[in-house]
Amino acid sequence: MFLAQRNLFHDKTRLALSVGGVALAVMLILILKGFLTGMNRQITSYIEHSPGSIVIAQKGVGNLLGVTSILPSDATAQVDNVNGVDKVIPILSQFVILDLHGKKQPAYMIGYDPDLGGGPWKITEGHEPAANTEMVMDRILAKRHDLKIGDNFAIMGQEFTIVGLSDGTTSWMTSFFFILKPAAELLLRAPGTTSFLFIETETGTNVADVQSRLNELPAINALTKGEMTANDLKLFAKVFSTPLKLMVGIAFLVGTMIVGLIIYTATVERQREYGVIKAIGASNRLLYRVVTAQALVAAIAGALLGVALAYLTAQAIMALRSQFLIMIEPRDILLAFLSGLGMALVAALFPARVIAGLAPAEVFRK
Amino acid sequence: MTRLAFRNLFQSKTRLVISVGGAALALLLILSLDAIFAGVEKQITAYINHSGADIFISQKNVRNMHMASSSLPITFVKTAASVPGVDQVTPIMYLANMVVVGNERNPAYIIGLPENAVMGGPWQVSVGRGNPATGEAVIDRSVAEKSGLSLGDNVEILGMKFKLVGLSEGTASLVNSVAFISFADFVSLRGSQDAVSFLLIKIMPGDSPVDVAARIEAMMPQVTAETTVDFADQEKRVVKDMSTDVVTIMNMIGFLIGLAVMALTVYTATLARRKEFGVLKALGAKNNDLYRAVVAQAFLSVILGFSTGLLFTLLLSWIIPYLGVNLLLEVSITSLIKVGVVSLVIASLSAFLPIRQIAGLDPALVFRGK
Repeated sequence: MFLAQRNLFHDKTRLALSVGGVALAVMLILILKGFLTGMNRQITSYIEHSPGSIVIAQKGVGNLLGVTSILPSDATAQVDNVNGVDKVIPILSQFVILDLHGKKQPAYMIGYDPDLGGGPWKITEGHEPAANTEMVMDRILAKRHDLKIGDNFAIMGQEFTIVGLSDGTTSWMTSFFFILKPAAELLLRAPGTTSFLFIETETGTNVADVQSRLNELPAINALTKGEMTANDLKLFAKVFSTPLKLMVGIAFLVGTMIVGLIIYTATVERQREYGVIKAIGASNRLLYRVVTAQALVAAIAGALLGVALAYLTAQAIMALRSQFLIMIEPRDILLAFLSGLGMALVAALFPARVIAGLAPAEVFRK
Repeated sequence: MTRLAFRNLFQSKTRLVISVGGAALALLLILSLDAIFAGVEKQITAYINHSGADIFISQKNVRNMHMASSSLPITFVKTAASVPGVDQVTPIMYLANMVVVGNERNPAYIIGLPENAVMGGPWQVSVGRGNPATGEAVIDRSVAEKSGLSLGDNVEILGMKFKLVGLSEGTASLVNSVAFISFADFVSLRGSQDAVSFLLIKIMPGDSPVDVAARIEAMMPQVTAETTVDFADQEKRVVKDMSTDVVTIMNMIGFLIGLAVMALTVYTATLARRKEFGVLKALGAKNNDLYRAVVAQAFLSVILGFSTGLLFTLLLSWIIPYLGVNLLLEVSITSLIKVGVVSLVIASLSAFLPIRQIAGLDPALVFRGK
């Protein structure tokens, strides 16, 4: 094992390159995963903070984001009559594309009634909209575009005044903004239209029972908030998971190659020494162990460095681009560590072949 | 010296595979990501580009279909038709909703199409017909295939059952598809009789779309009128503006990985041949000659890596459609140039470390057995 240590630390540049290579790969995996976790948190934050336990959508619609839901005009009254329903909170919502500073920014508009709920859950500055021309905008979106309270802002040709800034409602894809429901109806030219209903059930009733009773109504779909967030996550995962898996795969391969290459060259260079060791009676297994130990040490050091780098990079990205949320979970760190070890084990295969094929006698003839 | 570079490169097969493979993977990362986004841009504008319209009229300041909503008073159909230079007007209804088959929900853009619409319908119908009457729908063929649907079967759109009368081609993307129902059904489901989403305009022969669009905006202050080309550009910009930051980060990572792999392989290859370089030096080879060998080696492996990466990307773009994924990969010239430049930078930088090493090499040392 002393040999492994010597081989590894003999050449500083090589050590730095191999540890750096693994670190880069581990960092890439962690950042990608953290990015996805952060995005998932951002896209589900509205539903998680919305009132009630059940969401009613148009029949056939199971998502909040991605599609437009339009409920039948008599849905609110019908739902209110269902046994176990305490309070019905309607919202009218629609994805819109804002042109801000020449850039397209998708945003999710929520039209709601401040007396009932469904609006922003945390206002850092200002107040909720009180008139049809007032809006609450996401704090980070406003900051990115130098918008302040009192500023005017046009949505779909209609002027609004920003009266409040909300917190926790941002995402690089779906920043939220809030206006009164009647204002949204005017904007969409859809008087009396409702997209979703949030349902508060009476205390003591079983939510699942109320849900199944609601689902007996025609033309609507009643989901628990959990089901709805799961659907939204699935929708986004479909778009992002394939490219993401591709990248993680590439990162893993690259990390393996780097460690493999370095240990391979280190072994090839010391071929003679290995031959001598073999000639004095060392078994192949011992030599494999030496090589594997080298790979493991490089991989563990690299993985540690990679985790640290990932944290730093994540902080840097979030400081520069506040709409991104990168959340590195302990489970992902474990995963990245395991992939680091995986890289080391696969990498050790490269030089093992060299050693196995080494004839002890050869070295003396050279 | 180029021969020396060649020999250095091809003598160790493992090292060659790793160096070319590493560079290829890193470049593949950049290339395929570019290709994915270029493909998405193309898919997302398919409906607009194939609509047959010269101009799109939408609600004031609404310049997109994707993730957007537009609504116009139905009286605007007549107003638009009276603008000089306008030949035909087709109103369409539009909403992002779901095509539901059993328990399977497929996100789709739902288009409400008037009877005998001259524009805005499906542009390529492989089975059945493309003009849905009341109670009928046309959906994308790949969506129908995935759900095992054929003509005459029922699908659920906007919460109502429709009979499938046609399957269209080229109307699906990674994210969603386009489905067509009749204008009348759409209006009754949406509940508001007097609003439409977009107006599709065909102009008189000989007139220019830009002029007519300007005329429309002058005569109808409550609308935005864009030529089909501009409208499609706006749509592409949604993808671009949303993805720029992500693409930049990924490109940086790809660049770093490529650099790390290349630097490492060129460096170790030089290291392994230190003795030979020393002998060459002792024989009178100038540092410059040796540098050239190292640089040539770096460039050769990057060029090989670039070709391999490109080959893989093309291979991916060819295989993916057969996997039943509606993902289109488009390798664009700009992306090729960008990746080419990145590769050259990688090659130059990775030659740097070994050059320093060679420069510091003392010819006398090699004979002493060091």
